[in-house]
Amino acid sequence: MSTTTIPQAAAPPQVKTRVPLPPKLRAPGWYRAALFSVLGLGFAVGITVLIRWLQHQHPVVDGSAITIVGLFSAPLGFLVGIGTCDYWLHWAAGRPTRPEDHSGHGAHSWRDYFRVNTDHKVIGIQYTVTSFFFLFVGGLLAMLIRAQLAKPGMQFLTEEQYNGVFSVHATVLIFLFVIPVFAGLANFVLPLMIGAPDMAFPRLNALSYWLLPLGGVIMLMSFLAPGGSFASGWTAYAPLSTTMPVGQLFFSIGVQFAGFSSIFTALNFLVTIITMRAPGMSFFRMPLLVWANFSTSLLVVIATPFIAASQFFILLDSSLHFHFFDAFVGDHNNGNVIMYQHVFWFYSHPAVYIMMLPGFGIISEIIAVKSRKPIFGYRMMAFSLVAIVVLGFTVWAHHMFVSGMSPWIRIPMMVTTAVIAVPTGIKIFSWLATLWRGVLHLDTPMLFALGFLTMFTLGGISGVMLAMIPFDIHVSQTYFIVAHIHYVLFGGSLFTIFAGVYYWFPKMTGRMLDDRLGKWHFWMTFIFFNLTFAPMHLIGIQGMPRRVAEYASKFAAWNLFISISAFILGASILIFLYNVVASWRYGPRASANPWRALTLEWQVSSPPPVFNFDAVPTVVGGPYEYGVPGAVHGIFKAPEETRVAAGFTTPPSQQRHE
Amino acid sequence: MEAAAVTHAEHHGPPPAHRSSRVEAPVLGMLLFIISEVMIFGAFFTAYFFIRVVTHDPWPAHGTKLPEAVAGVNTAILLSSSLTIHWALTSIKNGNRFGLKAGMASTFLLGLTFLFVQINEYVHIGFAPHDTAQGTIFYSLTGLHGAHVIIGLGALLIVTIRSFRGHYSPEHHQGMEVPGIYWHFVDAMWIVVYTTVYVL
Repeated sequence: MSTTTIPQAAAPPQVKTRVPLPPKLRAPGWYRAALFSVLGLGFAVGITVLIRWLQHQHPVVDGSAITIVGLFSAPLGFLVGIGTCDYWLHWAAGRPTRPEDHSGHGAHSWRDYFRVNTDHKVIGIQYTVTSFFFLFVGGLLAMLIRAQLAKPGMQFLTEEQYNGVFSVHATVLIFLFVIPVFAGLANFVLPLMIGAPDMAFPRLNALSYWLLPLGGVIMLMSFLAPGGSFASGWTAYAPLSTTMPVGQLFFSIGVQFAGFSSIFTALNFLVTIITMRAPGMSFFRMPLLVWANFSTSLLVVIATPFIAASQFFILLDSSLHFHFFDAFVGDHNNGNVIMYQHVFWFYSHPAVYIMMLPGFGIISEIIAVKSRKPIFGYRMMAFSLVAIVVLGFTVWAHHMFVSGMSPWIRIPMMVTTAVIAVPTGIKIFSWLATLWRGVLHLDTPMLFALGFLTMFTLGGISGVMLAMIPFDIHVSQTYFIVAHIHYVLFGGSLFTIFAGVYYWFPKMTGRMLDDRLGKWHFWMTFIFFNLTFAPMHLIGIQGMPRRVAEYASKFAAWNLFISISAFILGASILIFLYNVVASWRYGPRASANPWRALTLEWQVSSPPPVFNFDAVPTVVGGPYEYGVPGAVHGIFKAPEETRVAAGFTTPPSQQRHE
Repeated sequence: MEAAAVTHAEHHGPPPAHRSSRVEAPVLGMLLFIISEVMIFGAFFTAYFFIRVVTHDPWPAHGTKLPEAVAGVNTAILLSSSLTIHWALTSIKNGNRFGLKAGMASTFLLGLTFLFVQINEYVHIGFAPHDTAQGTIFYSLTGLHGAHVIIGLGALLIVTIRSFRGHYSPEHHQGMEVPGIYWHFVDAMWIVVYTTVYVL
């Protein structure tokens, strides 16, 4: 696709003869990306040296200035080079746009996954595989943390290195795994579910994907920075982060790339859901996964700019000596340190719902299909998602009970935090009611879904405990917090991700995963997850502080136990890895609808055709009518035949108001 | 991994989807993007709020003053550019190519003038962002808005060049309508910035 010649017929005659570049450097691809990245770096050196020379600053060559500009310009060069912007640049320049820039659909070999492709199915797989790569990186960092903490006293990491390792662990798993992997799964599934041939903006979709690995590479590259990686936690509180070595800037800038990726994907989902649903697919006939991603995308669009801004503040404070957070400047001119936490958590609390709501959607799909029953309380499930979106913006300061903010703010935040457990509780009870007297199929996706239900409920309960101000003050900065966050993000989000991957793997690859290995994977994960994180509640309440490289010897026994469990938990993912790789290559072929599901993505072949549907399906009923005699969700015929087949004789315009 | 081996050699891009909303996708996308933009301004206004209201710092900092009058004239310049781009849009809807070209050119020049006056103000204002917290906020808010003006001007430049090349028609003018929405947002946001930073 990259070697096709440019149609020159319509191009204006060129006056100047250009320096001939080898075709590999002219066509979009990795060679041009490498060239443009180097050019971007050169730009960073040039512009910083020029500015410092004009301002008479010494030395003119400043490493950290070059790093900051280079961390923006080199990745942007890469994006242009790899070809994410070719179509737009051609369009803006009035040159003829090339078909391969806007119709790169379908993948013909594994190489196509390493190129810019605008097919939502290819992008979905790119997203998911990239995110899982970062899961392995983050998991390895977790193994390092547990090795360091296996016994009291300092082991092989210094304090600074330990701080760096846990900071990168959290950042990579939050920004490069949990958030994007949901975007990846939804990218593949969502357009299929609503009967659309692709996303609304396929080229923007490709750009969103390619922004993501850049953010990840920037964050991992911080280990190479002088002074070590960023080490102020994933929260990067000021003024700690504004006084850190240059590695901190890798966090601030990497987050910008991941953030733009999220925002563009969210815009794309929202526009796709609003404008591209199949005929008959009203909002209340959408599968709950679509509802979940609709809600998540709203959160992303509204909240993500706040973390972008918070990191711009950090960048400006630390590199250009602005005073957003400096408490003592001049006489009475004070910046405000608490402001950082407000701005940060105004994004990062909604972000925990960004990391959870798509998982709720996945679980709703799986539990309905695997218990062969309509989902209980469909509308309440949808409304509770919207309620979480709204309430999610009212609870951020519960992360700041010990920050020194005005004490009265704690009370409303405690109340709203307790209230937000209500819509979440509605969802839990709806799932339980769906399971009630269902015909349960306990295969791997369902096991992970049930594992999610139990583990997330535990994490949710410790969350309600933490909403209570006195208790929160008692366990602030202890392992109780670590236990809580891992119960909701590992036992919650990661279990839903595994469930989703086991559920949609046949659709994505056309191959079945090995169910026996899947069950081994589930039980090892489930058991050793609990053995790893449950004891953290206990040592947390006893006062073991988090984010510290060593600890009192009275916690030695539990920590050794936790570390051993964590290593086995880490090893359990190798089963998953082997299962995926082996099944993708040699697994039995999947039929179009191995789970006998009703939603539209299962009504096309596995994997789906390039443009998803030969004819746009017509939706005539709800998505979860399992066990209801004669229930139909989508019909794959021309619209006229469909209405006759469904027994309608009135035109569709009148049906809407019946 | 041989996903989707079907080739559509002569067919470029996905087939048209069913339109489930009367809103055009690019317009909706731009409106949603503007929500994000409003929120990033919101974050910067949070910083403003904390320094001015929570910390009770004097505004502007002692010994500095802000040129309200010049900025007021500049506000008028920027706001009039919203009128000219609306003129350009209604012109092309009615098939008036001269109106489109004149409207776009004057919009671009008004925007450029605003930017020039703003830079001139930075040069002569007499304090730097690293002097005081107030200076930090002043430069951040006006600078963030200035960055949006630059992005908007980039889009306007493309639209202006394209309208002089004979692009757009009464039926197809989304390519200028969508950047126009963004430009209106940039103008509206300036009113908020001007009111909070200069007037209040």
